[in-house]
Amino acid sequence: MSGALFTSLLVLVLCVPILGLAHAWGRYLARPPPWSGKAEQKALDLLKQWLSSVQLAQYERTGHFEVTDCHSGKRYCIRRGRQMNIYELDQNGVQIAVWCFGPEGCLPVGDIMLAQKIALETDEHAALAVANRCLARPQVSTGRFA
Amino acid sequence: MARQIVMDTTGDTRHEFDPADPAAVAEAERRFKELTGAGFTAAVRRGEGRSELIRSFDSAAEETLFFPRLKAG
Repeated sequence: MSGALFTSLLVLVLCVPILGLAHAWGRYLARPPPWSGKAEQKALDLLKQWLSSVQLAQYERTGHFEVTDCHSGKRYCIRRGRQMNIYELDQNGVQIAVWCFGPEGCLPVGDIMLAQKIALETDEHAALAVANRCLARPQVSTGRFA
Repeated sequence: MARQIVMDTTGDTRHEFDPADPAAVAEAERRFKELTGAGFTAAVRRGEGRSELIRSFDSAAEETLFFPRLKAG
């Protein structure tokens, strides 16, 4: 009887700090990023200023925009996101690969997308030379034909 | 006024200067060299939605954007 009581107390004593740590870890993971709020809006405003009118209309309608490399003529779809958000399109607008690269540092999403756009439109080879690539999932749609 | 925009965690930091002021232009050129030397890429807008990378300071550019070195995600 006293053994069971001791075990229960031991479990209780061990659980309290563990639950406390788990709670603190949860709050840490849920903390707002340093670039939240105003920074995100500022970066989004900057992105919109640098988009063409066609790209801007596309972004506001669908949440992504297309860019075309000036050398190869390849088309890419840049979605709102920090990683794995660049989709290479074939001539029919079907996604054939996903590229992942971006500027160093903790930047807001708008800044990341703007750097990706400029890099692909002006110096595609240099950008893709540092990028990771994987094949696109066939079922993923750009929304182009939606 | 001309403007240099440097991407950072706040969104960006902007530096405006008068292209007719030699001291301000020299300061802008010093900033350009410092940033590109640190790995930033400089781009200027060439019309609607079009941009161009520049390797040397362009005092005639109305707006120059600097973004950090690219890396794999």
